[in-house]
Amino acid sequence: MQLKLFHKGFNYSQDGTGNRLVYHLQGCNLSCPWCANPEGMDAEGPDTFTMTIEEMCEEIVRCKPMFFDGGGVTFTGGEATCQFIALKEILTRLKRIGISTALETNGTSSKLPELFPVLDELIMDYKHYDSKIHKKIMGLGNDVIKENLGKAFVEHPKLLVRIPLIGKVNASECDIEQFIAFFNQYHFFNARFELLCYHEYGKAKWTKCGKEYIVQDAFVPEKTRVNYENKMRMCGFNIVRT
Amino acid sequence: MMYQVYEAEQITAMAKDLFREERSKKRLDGWFLTREIVCNHAHEWNECSREMRAAKELRAILRELPLSISEYAIFAGSQSDAFARSYALINPAFQVETFSGYCDPTAVFNDIEPNEEFTEERIARVRDFTKESDYVRTLTEVYDKYENYTTEVAFFIEQVTGHIIPDFRPVLAHGLDRIITVLEEKIASESDNIKKDNFEAMKLTLLSTIDLAERYANIANEQRKTATPKRAAQLKLMEQTLRKVPRQGCDTLYEAIQSFILLWEVMCLEQAPNPFAFSVGNADRIFEPYRAKENLSRENTAALLKHLLVFYNVGDRSWAISQNLLISGKDLDGNDMTNETSYALMEAYLDMNLPQPILSVKLHKNTPDEIYEAMGRFFFSPGMLTPSLFNDDSVFQNLKIHRVVDEELPDYAVAGCQEPLIMGKDNGNTTNSWLNMAKILELTLNSGKSMITGKTIEATEEFPALELLQNIRERFYENIEQYINLMCEAANGASKAISYLPVPFLSIFMGGTETGYDMRDTEHQGTPYNGSGCLIHGLSVVADSFIAIDKLLVERPEEAENLLKALKVNFEGYEELHAFLKSAPKFGNNVPEVDKEACIVVTKVSDMVTAHKNYLGNPFRADWASPTTHLTYGYWVAATPDGRKAREQLNYGVDPLFGDADQGMGFRMLSNMRLPFDKMDGGYASHFGINPKMFHSPTLEGKGLDFAKRVIKPLFFNEKNTAKVAPFYLYVNVTTPETLRKVLAEPKKYAPTGVYIMRIHGTFVNFLDLSPDIQQDIIKRLDLESTKM
Repeated sequence: MQLKLFHKGFNYSQDGTGNRLVYHLQGCNLSCPWCANPEGMDAEGPDTFTMTIEEMCEEIVRCKPMFFDGGGVTFTGGEATCQFIALKEILTRLKRIGISTALETNGTSSKLPELFPVLDELIMDYKHYDSKIHKKIMGLGNDVIKENLGKAFVEHPKLLVRIPLIGKVNASECDIEQFIAFFNQYHFFNARFELLCYHEYGKAKWTKCGKEYIVQDAFVPEKTRVNYENKMRMCGFNIVRT
Repeated sequence: MMYQVYEAEQITAMAKDLFREERSKKRLDGWFLTREIVCNHAHEWNECSREMRAAKELRAILRELPLSISEYAIFAGSQSDAFARSYALINPAFQVETFSGYCDPTAVFNDIEPNEEFTEERIARVRDFTKESDYVRTLTEVYDKYENYTTEVAFFIEQVTGHIIPDFRPVLAHGLDRIITVLEEKIASESDNIKKDNFEAMKLTLLSTIDLAERYANIANEQRKTATPKRAAQLKLMEQTLRKVPRQGCDTLYEAIQSFILLWEVMCLEQAPNPFAFSVGNADRIFEPYRAKENLSRENTAALLKHLLVFYNVGDRSWAISQNLLISGKDLDGNDMTNETSYALMEAYLDMNLPQPILSVKLHKNTPDEIYEAMGRFFFSPGMLTPSLFNDDSVFQNLKIHRVVDEELPDYAVAGCQEPLIMGKDNGNTTNSWLNMAKILELTLNSGKSMITGKTIEATEEFPALELLQNIRERFYENIEQYINLMCEAANGASKAISYLPVPFLSIFMGGTETGYDMRDTEHQGTPYNGSGCLIHGLSVVADSFIAIDKLLVERPEEAENLLKALKVNFEGYEELHAFLKSAPKFGNNVPEVDKEACIVVTKVSDMVTAHKNYLGNPFRADWASPTTHLTYGYWVAATPDGRKAREQLNYGVDPLFGDADQGMGFRMLSNMRLPFDKMDGGYASHFGINPKMFHSPTLEGKGLDFAKRVIKPLFFNEKNTAKVAPFYLYVNVTTPETLRKVLAEPKKYAPTGVYIMRIHGTFVNFLDLSPDIQQDIIKRLDLESTKM
């Protein structure tokens, strides 16, 4: 069984606890125009390579000395759940040998809850509360995401929900209130939340991949983020920055 | 007394003025005068033994060399008269293409520009005299004999000057008088004539040192007559101090620094010109007893130490390089040795930011956070010097495996860039020999003929291409054994040559009063520990080449002949084959097969080197460092099977070749920490270029703690590392190529003081002082892809 990837490397604390080996799996079912990793969007990309589950396991075991401060392995993408069967297999194996596991996902896979038992940490994006807008901008509605979030709030012990603030898309006062209203339907007090500001670190890669970068004027001032963070804290959200 | 005539702010201001004054010196003629004094008196000492002759030469120098005391000085003494404007890398004219090593011991006479005072004739006279010395004649014979191997650098050898850590602590504690008494007792009781003569010579150098202090005291006295009342009081203190130390023991930090400076000056003058890389040793432990006696504050201590730091800077480009000063570390029981003087030294370094001396910090698993916080201020301030880092836990283990008894382990320090030696006890001849594995691989692939010049270096049997590649490891190791034999023979020849210039003064502080022998003696061991260094070059180039050849043999055995042809023409016309070779796994990416290959190379070659004996029958020491010689040696190496092009640089130390490790810091560290560091008893070099943007703490101190957590502790103190000995050395440059390019483009904006410190191999350099070749190397070698986090 193989996994298709486009990048791997270590990252400290931003993709889960401690120092983590992060595997970026190839292919995504959304088409977010601000994506920082456009080379990972298509089923095949310019940097695609494959690893068997065995190769990956061997590599991970070799990397153990680098999993300090509670670190381990994180799968992201693209969208890692697009390779669900292989992903579940590797997560199961890692769990068995005591490696800390994390998944960073857009939450669109209806089978996501099947992974909860083999995930020490779950990082889920929630990009827009309105399913129609979600579909219009990203190509899919958010119904499954909402369903998965609902289950994760109840079932997963270590959940981080991330909202990327994109100017003119989801970053107005009104948007934040809608986000809050959505989360208020759930018992979310065990989860952590993070607001991320729009950036253009991946912009140059779009051209390299032969794709057009269409996002304009989407930067969100830091003080706006702080303001929203405070607002959410007032409503009982556990706000973090990783 | 001291603070009755000075205030801390004033001392600091004077230190800065003193540095500015030193940097304005465009000529360094003192070293020439020392040689001329020796030349003038030579005929008087024909009957003397070499040892006594050396002592008399030093006496003449200390008596006759013109001395002065700057109006900004609070201490008397200078080492500027021991150095020439020679060191290639900080010479703007340096070019990789034309650099040929330091083979000619009289080449230094080219570094003094003739003028009305120092005429061509005057210079020529001293040069001719020097040429006729036993030392120069013997060394020239050695270089001539091995020229065929050194021209294209299959190996290189040199006579080692400097590169020692003297132990001046007994003088600071008890004064020279005590040592003179000891020597007199030895002279009286010694029946061996050689030793007796050596003790006499040593005594003479100490008496001459006291004379030097008196000369300085007299100058201070003279200057008092015309000085302002304030300065007169300062000069009075200086004079009183010089009449006391180094003759007697020190009671204050001021006296201790004064004593230390004079001893250092004499040590350098004894080896002038250019005794590079003497080391202060564990400076905080040396000076702390005197600070503690007075209970001096950190601020006042730092102020005095700033003058000590300025002392190490010579001339307009700080020409005395690689002088190491160490702080912190642990004792034998694992207790942290950091003290108030450690922090005061860091304060002094931060405020002065000088190109010399190099700061090194000894770490261990219980190093206090305050040290890491303080280091954050160095690492994350642009243009600020950055300390090199040593892992005491590992160095202790390694030295113990190889030679050092337990109680002496805490006394290790480093001389030169990173070579661990025991202070006052170890003559490691650290830079005696230099082995270029990549060149030897090239010669192995071409029957001993250079692919660069076509010249036969050492003919070997010709094999069909496929057979050669199938047995490449066996052939390479056979060949390298032969080259190591030749190299060690040559290196011992160079050591013999330098033994014709004995150093009775320095020998006193290296165990000579116990053994009775000069530390350079090649027949009797003058120091408790002795060895000869071998700097081994091209680790990843060779390991990656073996793996690329394996890949070719598995996937394209029919291309064996083509590989050899391609190497000879630098892959021109073989672009596809070149891409194939480049795609083979490379060291530094946590790939098992290549990491294992690198381990085998280190183990085999280290074992071969350490099996060879130096002039005293002690092992050569394997030092996997390449102090910028990865550039100059790479220039003489043809294309290699890993895909590296002809004349391109080799990898630095134990690091991957630039650009070959692209998976980031975690993978690179994993490859690194698996290397057999227990085999590197002479030390090794490793450098991380680090992007400061990876650290997000709002304070410099916080960034320092993050740096410890994400870089130092995983590398040095990783509990999951199962290797016998963990990594023990690292230096870093925390910046980006963009920043450095901006500094070059607009130096006045980004380096208004004219000083922007970077690290190059083990030493600090002012980035703006460097030759363009070296500036570009530093930029290139940041290699941020290999350290991204």
